[in-house]
Amino acid sequence: MGLFTPQLPKGPYFGVLAEFATPADLYHACERVRDAGFTRWDAHTPFPVHGLEKAMGLGRSPLPWIVLGAGLTGLATGFVLQWWVHTSAYPLVISGKPLFSWPAFIPVTFELGVLFAAFGAVFGMLGLNRLPMHHHPLFRSKVFDRVTDDAFFISVESWDPKFDPSATQKLLASLGARSVELLES
Amino acid sequence: MSAHRDHVELRPEQVAIPPGHSWNRFPAIGAGCAVLGVVLCAILGMGNPKQFLFSWLVSFLYFLSLALGALFFVLIQYAAQGAWGVVLRRIGETIFATLPVMAVLFLPVVFGLGVLYEWAHPGAAEHDALLRWKSPYLNVPFFLIRAALFFGLWSAIALFYYRGSRGQDATGDASVSARLRKFAGPSIIVLALTTTLASVDWIMSLTPHWYSTMFGVYFFAGSFLGFIALLSLLAVRMRAAGLLDTVISTEHLHDVGKLLFGFTAFWAYIGFSQFFLVWYANLPEETIWYKPRIEGSWLPIALLLMVGHFIAPFFYLMGRSVKRNGSTLSVGAVWLLLMHYVDLYWQVMPTLHPEGFSPSVLDLAAFLAVGGCVIAAVSWLLRRQALVPLRDPRIAESLAFENA
Amino acid sequence: MAQTEAELLDNPVAGEPTLILRSPDFHSITDAVAEPVERPTPRAWWYFFLPSVAVLGLLGVSVAWLVWEGIGIWGLNVPVGWAFDITNFVFWIGIGHAGTLISAILFLFRQKWRTSINRAAEAMTIFAVMCALTFPGIHVGRIWVAYWMFPLPNQMGTWPNFRSPLLWDVFAVSVYGTVSVLFWYVGLIPDLATMRDRAKTQTRKFAYGLFALGWRGSVRQWHNYESAYLVLAALATPLVLSVHSIVSMDFAVSVLPGWHTTIFPPYFVAGAIFSGFAMVLTLMVICRTAFGLEHIVTLRHFDYMAKIMLVTGTIVGYAYTTEFFTAWYSGNPYEVYTFVNRAFGPYAWAYWIMFSCNVISPQIFWFKKARTSIPILFVVSIVINIGMWFERFTIIVTSLHRDFLPSSWDYYTPTFWDLSTLLGSFGLFFTMFCLFVRFLPMVATAEVKTVLPQADPHWHRGPERESKDHRAALRHGGTPDPVTEGAS
Repeated sequence: MGLFTPQLPKGPYFGVLAEFATPADLYHACERVRDAGFTRWDAHTPFPVHGLEKAMGLGRSPLPWIVLGAGLTGLATGFVLQWWVHTSAYPLVISGKPLFSWPAFIPVTFELGVLFAAFGAVFGMLGLNRLPMHHHPLFRSKVFDRVTDDAFFISVESWDPKFDPSATQKLLASLGARSVELLES
Repeated sequence: MSAHRDHVELRPEQVAIPPGHSWNRFPAIGAGCAVLGVVLCAILGMGNPKQFLFSWLVSFLYFLSLALGALFFVLIQYAAQGAWGVVLRRIGETIFATLPVMAVLFLPVVFGLGVLYEWAHPGAAEHDALLRWKSPYLNVPFFLIRAALFFGLWSAIALFYYRGSRGQDATGDASVSARLRKFAGPSIIVLALTTTLASVDWIMSLTPHWYSTMFGVYFFAGSFLGFIALLSLLAVRMRAAGLLDTVISTEHLHDVGKLLFGFTAFWAYIGFSQFFLVWYANLPEETIWYKPRIEGSWLPIALLLMVGHFIAPFFYLMGRSVKRNGSTLSVGAVWLLLMHYVDLYWQVMPTLHPEGFSPSVLDLAAFLAVGGCVIAAVSWLLRRQALVPLRDPRIAESLAFENA
Repeated sequence: MAQTEAELLDNPVAGEPTLILRSPDFHSITDAVAEPVERPTPRAWWYFFLPSVAVLGLLGVSVAWLVWEGIGIWGLNVPVGWAFDITNFVFWIGIGHAGTLISAILFLFRQKWRTSINRAAEAMTIFAVMCALTFPGIHVGRIWVAYWMFPLPNQMGTWPNFRSPLLWDVFAVSVYGTVSVLFWYVGLIPDLATMRDRAKTQTRKFAYGLFALGWRGSVRQWHNYESAYLVLAALATPLVLSVHSIVSMDFAVSVLPGWHTTIFPPYFVAGAIFSGFAMVLTLMVICRTAFGLEHIVTLRHFDYMAKIMLVTGTIVGYAYTTEFFTAWYSGNPYEVYTFVNRAFGPYAWAYWIMFSCNVISPQIFWFKKARTSIPILFVVSIVINIGMWFERFTIIVTSLHRDFLPSSWDYYTPTFWDLSTLLGSFGLFFTMFCLFVRFLPMVATAEVKTVLPQADPHWHRGPERESKDHRAALRHGGTPDPVTEGAS
């Protein structure tokens, strides 16, 4: 059971899964599925295939904005913490420097900025990807095990307005799929 | 890199300034600026030779640093066998080809040594134990020998690479690339050592008691960043002027922009480390350099450097779209070129005006004179040659370059 | 066949270099990496693991004795109040830096060759940081008050001093450790999913599956994943610079000649990368042979690493020279004395070990023969590690042992416990590394697949579009035998 409840289509079918032999076949199939107007679909590959997000028509990831926000928060936290400790909580003159000696605060400010930004990147990525999600209908497919090895897939989910169990299977088969199967919910 | 652009032949007319193009006027414009600058320097400098020499030194260092930055850039490209930047290499080559000219522009400094440098004042070492200690290094004959050596080595490396690359335009001989690559590593070592010593001689020794091991790296960081800014600007302007618009792509601009962004941070890292360690230890023999530079009306300049040379361009250049758009990228580049001048000005001028920032028309005159000469030389070379190394064996790869 | 492979490297003006030999398909890459983890534990692994654990035990004994008896068991005394503990700390932190350089900086510079070695190098980073953290943890002897290093008000109502470089160290190193773990783990997720999908037993499926987080290779996920990876690389790059810069500030913000010099931050960073690459090289030479990964970690990878060692070693040499010149140029008699004392005083032996190992020995890498010869690489990498340890020793001890008061001058000699703690930290490092190669895929499988020619969606199989190493092999007269090619 995952931290996030899967957003899954309701109904008897999860969708259609089609396997392709090479990244090139998958790429061209993706372009066609995109042009056919499908929206609730995805491709699955063992490694990031260059340019595939364009073939699928995905926009840019919003992740950098999350990271920027987290990083700025980290910078502010670091600086305010040190300023507060040295001017209010525990004011003590050390090595003849003023209580608010900002150059000396830069190392820790920087480190906390990086730390928060890195947390933002990792947890932001997991959140956007809705991971961890240990169970998913796709894992029921026998061939899908090879998605982390050498197989390339397209899955079209049943709640896509254009989805039709038999027509979608036919479409994917016509795009050069090696195998096509209908997956239950 | 996709394989479908393997065979790209560039036609020479595609990569040259066509007759009648507006860029053909630049040699004349540059020469005009130079003449105007020299005349102004002559008239105004009569009354204030000291100001003239310091203004000249700043402008000389500015254009010298850009040329040295260009040399570093091209040598590193050869050594690292980077392909993406091949189409931009000729711009760098043309800029560092001006290094022999810089030797001529150094002459006012030679004649003004006794005015510019405290250690070169007649009899300076007699009353100063530190200067006496340093006199085996800081003395006029040895200083001149070193300067001659620097210019000799720089010109030799610069011309070797410029000629080699231009020669390849005619022959298309791939072995030229291999030969230039072979000498890139040793040349970088020579360049690093000479640049370090030159920055010690020409800038650090203005305050002869002061020393900092980081200084050579600081000068390098500013020079390299300055050159990358100039490269971005020229690449954008060339495209806008219809030159190389089929050659330099948005992808190339993006990559130059990334370098600009990265070296903005690198400059800040080096500059901050140097300041910070001196500030923290608070030893009088080290703080003497920073003290006049962060007091009085020099303080706003120091803060301007902090904000304008680092914080503002860092956040400005962070985004992807800024780097991929010619006009936004060139705004950043022009700004950083200005800041690089301010940086050198702030290093040199407080020696003359420790009491505070006091600009002079001579600053402008010297800038026009030195800059005019450099612009004339660079644009004259650009007219006579292809704007890219058109038969470099990796040019096709560079043309097809795409950011991941 | 080493000859053929070395020849394959030799094309200075060629386009894209061949990174992976034997033209494998995706599945064979998965197999090559996953099988060593899946097959029963080979006996050879125990030969590495058990001695490592034994040496780790020595660390345990040394630390226990230290806590029981106090730091009097070490050779430290006035004026050398810092010696092996901080030397070892800086040494191990430095080792870690190459891992981050390979995973982050080379990623930003699109150096595709990093894909074969980045996983192991990142693991090395994490284990090196663990070793490093041991030393500040134990060096005051009273480990039960180690929490005073954290920004918490303690029972006396005081706060730590944020103006102290030692506190910056606490932040820098712990952030570095955390970000390195995150980066490494993010890179592992797709490969853990591979291990999950290949698992034959329920236990393995559960264990790998738990950490794979349900990864299903979706392009929508890859899209955010790649963005996160790029961002982490962009963050780790300044981070790695900052960490060793801050470590250098432990010394450089002081007023001690030989410590206080402005070039320290970048000079320490270059030295760190230098030593770290040497350690990666040592480990990869062993691992690629032990696990039969010669076609994935090729001579080309060693060639590149040797070049980086040449560059960073030369930068370190530049820093040594600048320091010496500036010490003279400063005219400060204390500066001058410290440097003369370093090179010609009682610790001259350490100085010249450092100089010859770090500056002279990597110069052999100007020659391609040396860069592609496994024995030379292996020996030089170990020599450099020794040299870089001595660099820290020289900086730390020679500046301290003759301080401003000649009456307190002394000569520091390590005790048995100093040496056993240093040795023991290697035990910790190698134990962790053995566990890593036993249970996790030591090559980033998903990333290696992306550098195969057929991973490009515009690649088409055909006679004129065969992979380049195939063509190269044909040119060199041999038939591209899929089994023997690349084996050395």
